[in-house]
Amino acid sequence: MKIQVLFGTESGNAEMAAEDIAASVRDGGQEVEIHDLSDFSISELQHDPVYVFICSTYGEGDLPNTALPFFADLSIVGPDLSGMRYAIFGLGDTFYTETYSQGATKLDDKLRALGAERIGEFGRYDASTWEPVGEKAVEWFSGVLTELAVH
Amino acid sequence: MNSTVSIAIVGSGPAGCYTAQGLRKALPNAQITIYDRLASPFGLVRYGVAPDHQNTKSIQAQFARLFERENVRFAGNLEVGSDVSLKELRSLHNIVVLATGLSRDRALGICGEGLPEVYGAGRLTRLFNAHPLQTVGMPRLGESVAIIGGGNVSIDVLRLLAKQPADFANTDIDDAALAEYMQSPVRHIDFICRSSVANAPSDPVMLAELGRIPGVAFSCLDPFSVPDDASRIAGARAKAIETLLETRGGPDTRVEVSFHFGHAPIQILGDGHVCGVELAATGSQGATNVVVADSVVTAVGFDFDEDDWHGLGPIQANATTGQLGNGLYRTGWVKRGSRGTIAANRACAKSVTEEILRDLPTLDMSTKPGHAGIPWQALAHAVDYDAWKRLDIAESGAAAEGRTRKKFPSHERMVAIANNHLAGALGASEN
Ligand SMILES: Cc1cc2nc3c(=O)[nH]c(=O)nc-3n(C[C@H](O)[C@H](O)[C@H](O)COP(=O)(O)OP(=O)(O)OC[C@H]3O[C@@H](n4cnc5c(N)ncnc54)[C@H](O)[C@@H]3O)c2cc1C
Ligand SMILES: Cc1cc2nc3c(=O)[nH]c(=O)nc-3n(C[C@H](O)[C@H](O)[C@H](O)COP(=O)(O)O)c2cc1C
Repeated sequence: MKIQVLFGTESGNAEMAAEDIAASVRDGGQEVEIHDLSDFSISELQHDPVYVFICSTYGEGDLPNTALPFFADLSIVGPDLSGMRYAIFGLGDTFYTETYSQGATKLDDKLRALGAERIGEFGRYDASTWEPVGEKAVEWFSGVLTELAVH
Repeated sequence: MNSTVSIAIVGSGPAGCYTAQGLRKALPNAQITIYDRLASPFGLVRYGVAPDHQNTKSIQAQFARLFERENVRFAGNLEVGSDVSLKELRSLHNIVVLATGLSRDRALGICGEGLPEVYGAGRLTRLFNAHPLQTVGMPRLGESVAIIGGGNVSIDVLRLLAKQPADFANTDIDDAALAEYMQSPVRHIDFICRSSVANAPSDPVMLAELGRIPGVAFSCLDPFSVPDDASRIAGARAKAIETLLETRGGPDTRVEVSFHFGHAPIQILGDGHVCGVELAATGSQGATNVVVADSVVTAVGFDFDEDDWHGLGPIQANATTGQLGNGLYRTGWVKRGSRGTIAANRACAKSVTEEILRDLPTLDMSTKPGHAGIPWQALAHAVDYDAWKRLDIAESGAAAEGRTRKKFPSHERMVAIANNHLAGALGASEN
């Protein structure tokens, strides 16, 4: 099973979390690739890998600007993603009470609407907790791996 | 080729750190040193971002990885221009990237600006953040202050001045500066923003946050509305202000805030001392009005030194290229001007990194000594990353109750603690 970690970030925290997840996968002896959503085209999406989306929130509950083109392409092209499996982890801050983690939620809604299947729990990281985001992400991902093993 | 590339980044703020991230990824074998004139890394994340915005400061954990895992060297307490010249630095490294930021409060360019009670926002935010090079102390603001400028830094200043000591729990505010300010806190704040509510440069969430400070009442003389086709952010800003205006303070009101959107300052009034600010509605030729004020805080951005910057002449912002010369680049605020959040520096650093990588074949790639070639007199007092961690731990250890850390406002003391020259005295009380 190949794992592809795709991150959407503005200030780099999602990238850091993505790198930590990738490192933990590598340590577990599995193959993993990591891409910035700003350098990743929806035409590269395939059916066999498991995708891991790590995505923060900006503006009025939007995706980070580096991930907006990817998201717009999903909306415009509307590719059939049935059969594609993914996990998702959102970074946000409960300081933004009304739009907490909405960017990742929008991405999740879109992926499911296009037929993709989510594996494991929706991971959420709240920057107000001051916890190390990388550790939280790796912890969450180990739960996803357990889910994958049963699937 | 890459095995010997030696890179100097000057400035350890967001721009310098993001650039180091990008260069490290592309050039795994390069020798990368981030120089800073301060003993501590992270620039304005530590000394600009408001002390009551600790979540924003937590980005330091991301940048710390550079030094802890990515084999990037920190060389603090080394000022380019005094400890080592830019020319010398360039001769020691193949690539030099300036990420020195901008710290000079921009002038308004209006009459009365020279009056003694006109202060820059940078000075205030540095004081509350215990910046060691901010040697001029807490200004006298009087009862009424006019804050000129409508961006997020203005709102930071407004919030810091409107809060009470109890509102600073779990921050790293400088308690000495706070105590000095609290001897005569302001009672009235006029917030003057040239742009309309729809076009104002502030983050709506920053405005909304003001409503959570107890004891503050808000007013806005002029009615405002945003057009139906305005951006979502404009709508959110209008809503945030409307919510503030509903918070008509009760008997516990300590501070009154008056918003003046769509007004530009014409002149600062006063004969020897500030007594007010004359405003005109932007875009109208007509009548002006005067707000009474004992002091003025300007928050209209930060500027380049007009003087000759290390022999490079007067520097101007440049949106297109980061290149200043062969092997010499700039990034962050010193490239773009004082615009944008921390995150904007990531995109900026990315583009400059790409520029550098594109130019690599044209650069002098002869072997250079890098950091090791810095004059020994300067290296002897430099603060490396381990030394900074010593200071970091000392700061956390010295934190008073309700504080996340205590920053030492004396640079000499910072260096002494970092370089372990205070042996035995570390536990002693610090001021
Ligand atoms: C008061 C204030 C509050 C802010 N709050 C926020 C916020 O809440 N959120 C947000 O996203 N953005 C905020 N910003 C904006 C953010 O701080 C900037 O976008 C960012 O810091 C610019 O990065 P920089 O690396 O270009 O400059 P800086 O962060 O200023 O870093 C420059 C570094 O260069 C060093 N240096 C300068 N000259 C020399 C020299 N000659 N030799 C060696 N070293 C040198 C300095 O010591 C400093 O460490 C705030 C800015 C200010 C002024
Ligand atoms: C200008 C700005 C706007 C933000 N808006 C939101 C938001 O609406 N909702 C949310 O949950 N978090 C919001 N955040 C918090 C970020 O999502 C959070 O800091 C995250 O860790 C950033 O991750 P990144 O570095 O990968 O971009 C915002 C942060 C900033 C600086």
